[in-house]
Amino acid sequence: MSAAETQPRAGARIAGLLRDILPYAGLIAVLVFFSLSSEFFLNFRNFERLVTDSATLMLVAFGMTLIILLGEIDLSVGAVVSLLAVILAQLMAAGLPWPFAVLAVLGIGLLLGLFNGLVTVIGDIPSFIVTLGMMAVATGLSFVFTGAISVAILSEPFLVLFYDARALGLPVPLWITGAAFAALAFYLTRTVPGRQLYAIGANPAAARMSGVPVNRRKITVFAIMGFLVAAAAVFSAARLGSGAPASVPALTLDAIAAVIIGGASLFGGRASLVRTLMGAALIAVLNNGMVLMNVNIDAQFIVKGVIILVAVVLERLASGARP
Amino acid sequence: MLLELSNITKRFPGVLALDEARLDLRPGEVHALMGENGAGKSTLMKIASGLFPPDSGTIRAGEAEVAFPSPAAAKAAGIHTVFQELTVLPNRTVAENLLIGREPVRAGGLWLDTRAMRREAEGILSRLGIDLRPDALAGTLSTGQRQMVEIARACAQNPKVLILDEPTSSLGRAEEELLFELVRKLRADGVGIIYITHRMSEVFALSDRTTVLRDGRFVLTEETAKLDRAALIRAMVGRDVAEGRHGLDIDALPVALEAQGLSRGKAVRGADLTLHAGEVLGVAGLMGAGRTELARLIAGIDRSEAGEMRLFGEPYAPRDVAGALARGVAYVSEDRKGLGLVLPLSVADNIALPSLQSLARRQVVAPRRIGDFARGWMQKLGVKAASGGVAVETLSGGNQQKVALAKWLATHPRVILLDEPTRGVDVGAKAEIYALIRQLAENGTAVLAISSELPELLQISDRIAVVAQGRIAGVVSASEATEESLLDLAFREGEAA
Repeated sequence: MSAAETQPRAGARIAGLLRDILPYAGLIAVLVFFSLSSEFFLNFRNFERLVTDSATLMLVAFGMTLIILLGEIDLSVGAVVSLLAVILAQLMAAGLPWPFAVLAVLGIGLLLGLFNGLVTVIGDIPSFIVTLGMMAVATGLSFVFTGAISVAILSEPFLVLFYDARALGLPVPLWITGAAFAALAFYLTRTVPGRQLYAIGANPAAARMSGVPVNRRKITVFAIMGFLVAAAAVFSAARLGSGAPASVPALTLDAIAAVIIGGASLFGGRASLVRTLMGAALIAVLNNGMVLMNVNIDAQFIVKGVIILVAVVLERLASGARP
Repeated sequence: MLLELSNITKRFPGVLALDEARLDLRPGEVHALMGENGAGKSTLMKIASGLFPPDSGTIRAGEAEVAFPSPAAAKAAGIHTVFQELTVLPNRTVAENLLIGREPVRAGGLWLDTRAMRREAEGILSRLGIDLRPDALAGTLSTGQRQMVEIARACAQNPKVLILDEPTSSLGRAEEELLFELVRKLRADGVGIIYITHRMSEVFALSDRTTVLRDGRFVLTEETAKLDRAALIRAMVGRDVAEGRHGLDIDALPVALEAQGLSRGKAVRGADLTLHAGEVLGVAGLMGAGRTELARLIAGIDRSEAGEMRLFGEPYAPRDVAGALARGVAYVSEDRKGLGLVLPLSVADNIALPSLQSLARRQVVAPRRIGDFARGWMQKLGVKAASGGVAVETLSGGNQQKVALAKWLATHPRVILLDEPTRGVDVGAKAEIYALIRQLAENGTAVLAISSELPELLQISDRIAVVAQGRIAGVVSASEATEESLLDLAFREGEAA
């Protein structure tokens, strides 16, 4: 209990500094790199495309920030986005007007998230396992529903609204992503339940001793995640013009990567929405730039995997763990 | 001499745990080691079993001076220890636990000889008279049975010296008898046994000689037959008794909390308690007597299985912490780092955590409001921190404790339960916390203060309740109580009640 123990070591301080600048420095680095190496990159139309395309990732990464803040994880997001896109396409193909199809999918997403939360909390099972199961079930269902064939979306108003349309000069997906960001930032900084999440993630036993309803908060966050995943599925379906199984193979990895690059601790108690936004932007630019440069998808995984590992190691060093 | 520890000194950050302590052990004797909580008994035994080295002092085994750089070295010298913390592996069988680290193998160590293992384990168990199946999973055993496995494991290695640290704390009556028999048998075989206990009856029933430590220092070693209960208690307490407070007419104060027959598991077994608004009720008792468990029932952390409580005359049965808080009952945990505070969070967030709801309108709370609120409480309690925004983990123990107190005082409790309010706190902060506790009571708050330090209780309390074996063994006025009388109550064993 000496004073020296409470002071972080010099190495940890440097690692902490690197961790804190990683999302910003990384974003600037990839922007400069792709501007220099691809003639198509630094171009207004490309940026608009990049922003519109990243709506799916942004929404899921925001939700993942809350989940990781609690010290939990959700591995099912990619599979559930595909499944919900499939359901959306099939509902519209069956003649349901698009607004009802969208509402139905938002509701289903919310329920799937609620289910993840309830099983995790009531069963006292690590969310890692629960959502791994959900991932398998959702993947299987999307293949069963479609017979492994993609279902085209023909509703023109739907495709326009959620992909091409603008409001006040900006793409609709950007507005909705921005609204989700603002709402979640408000939740985390200015509401009682949101502020309690930090305490729950850092020390659930102490939070419980302080009268915080830990279980209820966890379930709520999984439900919020489910809703955001459903919204992400709507944008994904509009962008691809169809619902298909395994349509977003990199999404789960990308979303977790965005949060980790943002300096969050996988042990909970430390995560930031702004920094996740930076992390997600970094991933989105990487995805866009690597496509422009014709980097194949497998190599893209390698690049992102390395970035995640760097971010995780920095976070561990910064929190005082010995190398 | 079988084992001789002389002039052992051990300093931990902030405390002198042992100050020239000593103890000598003869072959074939049971040597009781006694002292209050924190007297240094366990530290001395950990040094004897190689868990850490002394800062100075010598250890002799036989005639030779020895050093135990590791527990393995102590074991090699024939010193085996059974600590209070159980180290039995729950997912292994009794036999595997008994023979861990020296399992019989075949084919040059390629696989375990399970049959030989079973046979050997059976031999050990029957030799010691312990009725357990060798292939039972340790996890399915009761705590007492696990304790017996632990003891059997030590005995199976033919120890010259056997150290037992409060071996009966988790045993039932029958197992206790079995243990006593075992100890006597080992003594007859010439084993030297050091026996740490809080129970006087065991000392007199079992031991040949007794050593008493106080504040890390050696007080006496004496033939047990020449000692009596009063002499032992005097030796353990020994210092001048602090002056109690006078002049408060407890009966004139309104009753804040009344508990009758509170029970939960083995820890709390029918506790009755009356706490008045405006008094400080100290709670004394040995470790494991059920003090914290009792407070947790009142605070709504655990639910009582029997009995009832009334709060200012109204029925009171909190379902959880939030329920207790809503009724104005707050509990400051003894485990500041684990349960009391969220260390990585800021001072302000910690102080505001239980009060967020009351700072908010429709669940919305301005961060500035939290900052102002916390700053006010930091000032009131004199928390020394650069700002409310720094992480609690960067503060000293005393300041952390003040944050923990601020956090709960900020909920404006009518009843506050303080569990070891000055643990790990330096002398200056201690005095401030004492003053704060007095001031709370003078302002009409009902204060219940649990402490293992009797002088502290005598200084801050109006009355002192002594908990023993899950019950209130007695309540005495602090002005009439002495450390001797409190210890006497604490050591009273509950059969009569």
